[in-house]
Amino acid sequence: MTRHLWWLRRLAVLPVHLVIFAIAVFFLVKLVPGDPVRSLSGGQTMTPEQYEAARTALGLSGNVGEQLLRYLHNVVTLDLGNSVANGTSVATEMKTRLPQTAELAIIAMIISSILTLLVGFFVVLKPKNIVSRGLRSYARAAGALPDFCLGVAVIFVFYSVLHWAPAPIGRYDSLLNPPPRSTGFPLIDAALSSDTALLSSMISHLWLPELVLVIAFAPMLMKLFIRSLGQSVGAQATRFRIASGASRTTVALSIGRRALPATVAMFGTIFGFMLGGAVIVEQLFAMPGMGEYAVQAVTRADFIALQGFLLVVGGVSLLVFFLVDVINMLLDPRRRPGVTVEGA
Amino acid sequence: MPWRTVLVLAPAAVVVLIAVFGPLFVPYSPRDVVASPDLAPGAQHWFGTDSAGLDVFSRTIASTQNDLLIAVLTALVATVAGIAIGLLVGMNESRRGILGLLARALSRALDLLQALPAVVIGLVLVGFFGASIPSLVVSLAFILTPNQARLVRTEVLRVRGEAYLDAARMAGDREFVLVLRHVLPNSAWPAVENATLVFGSAIVIAGALGFLGVGLHPPTPEWGNMIAVGAPSAAAGRWWSALFPAIALALTVFAMSAVGRRLFGDDQ
Repeated sequence: MTRHLWWLRRLAVLPVHLVIFAIAVFFLVKLVPGDPVRSLSGGQTMTPEQYEAARTALGLSGNVGEQLLRYLHNVVTLDLGNSVANGTSVATEMKTRLPQTAELAIIAMIISSILTLLVGFFVVLKPKNIVSRGLRSYARAAGALPDFCLGVAVIFVFYSVLHWAPAPIGRYDSLLNPPPRSTGFPLIDAALSSDTALLSSMISHLWLPELVLVIAFAPMLMKLFIRSLGQSVGAQATRFRIASGASRTTVALSIGRRALPATVAMFGTIFGFMLGGAVIVEQLFAMPGMGEYAVQAVTRADFIALQGFLLVVGGVSLLVFFLVDVINMLLDPRRRPGVTVEGA
Repeated sequence: MPWRTVLVLAPAAVVVLIAVFGPLFVPYSPRDVVASPDLAPGAQHWFGTDSAGLDVFSRTIASTQNDLLIAVLTALVATVAGIAIGLLVGMNESRRGILGLLARALSRALDLLQALPAVVIGLVLVGFFGASIPSLVVSLAFILTPNQARLVRTEVLRVRGEAYLDAARMAGDREFVLVLRHVLPNSAWPAVENATLVFGSAIVIAGALGFLGVGLHPPTPEWGNMIAVGAPSAAAGRWWSALFPAIALALTVFAMSAVGRRLFGDDQ
């Protein structure tokens, strides 16, 4: 029974992590200095009844244990409270904004993965090529320039100087109507609607932010993949394949499969970087999304919105790590829980 | 001192000198409007003026002090806290009972903390604690301590099995003294080596937070908020108010990591 259900063990750990994370966020918010009721009311005088009512509205009545239980109940039912700045439900805002930000990061991950595979195989199969050497140095320079600096430079070059990109304002031309909501992901919604003007406007506004994310974070994946490939090429298994007369394609595929797990393990971390980069890119290109929401919440000291933001990003990150782990375990059976590897 | 070492350490020394003495020698005030906005670099204003009329050169030089201060304090706090937490977790992880449970839970919590993007953690912490130099240092330390703790914990797990610990125990040393005298010096070095990288990361993340508008607020000079102010100008073709702080930031990070690589060996 357990042979095909190895991923259940990994899946079972996910809710535990989520709960621990939620509890940590709860105590972090408790650390915020000052009395939330006083800072939100702006120091007006309140009767004791008003004060108690305000505390209950913020979920602060009762002792710490009761507050924690109430909080956990809310988190599980996806009730993230109402923003203190304008009273809107945090969960509703997140439902609109999370797909917008996630779309940026996911597209960047897909492009980076494809590029990493192509560049990695090219560099390893043709090491003496001048292009290979250039790509190698580019990969090694990973992380040298911060993403926000890169973003400003890219806007300057491709918009101000070359005029190849439209003005960095928003996801699509301001004269167009937003796409009708079906999936929540703006690009998919635009593709599903029959509005080709909107779709082409979105794509033309999207390529520059994606370029920034890919240039900033793909080198990390490439560096890792190139190193793994190098090790994989010299491994015993490769020589066995070649000696047993496998075709060039089969050998290349086996090298790739053995080199992938180390790189895929980094996928979760790099996706985290992409999410952070998406927040910065949203600011840079004036796109709506979670970044905009979080920055506004900080300027307004809206700690409920920030708490919701942290919970959502944490939840998404943990989910991504789970998926990455399962993919890695699919690729490399030795990494599955309960598997003991003997010898080398 | 071999001239090669001097060559590598010189840029970092220059940066430190600028940070300490720069604000005393800048031509204009870094916080006040001194000229018409959007002047291109020239004789009067070496780096030009930004969209509000502040001198970019003076602000770039003055920012060095703020950014370096934040980064140095963060590196110190993160390294010290990382060593302490790493020791705590490493020594107690495999114990039975409540201490072991707490140590393992702390280890898990650190892993979870590393799962979040740095900018997200920084945003939320600054949102909670405000945007002053001390609260920025605390926020950045939160982001950067887990990695330091993880490095130390790995070393502690290795050192625990060494014979000299048992010898010290037999000689009558109490456990606490043993940890301080024998385990700490042998397991703290990865965190100390990594401190220059923590320094560089602190500058970059502080810059990112400043860029988003949640770091030190203008007119306080800081590279991140200078780049934020300069970004719309750059989109309009006025490259100077964003370029020079970006170069300063990149050069500082590069200078410090060069020092780290030199002092602790190249592991590329």
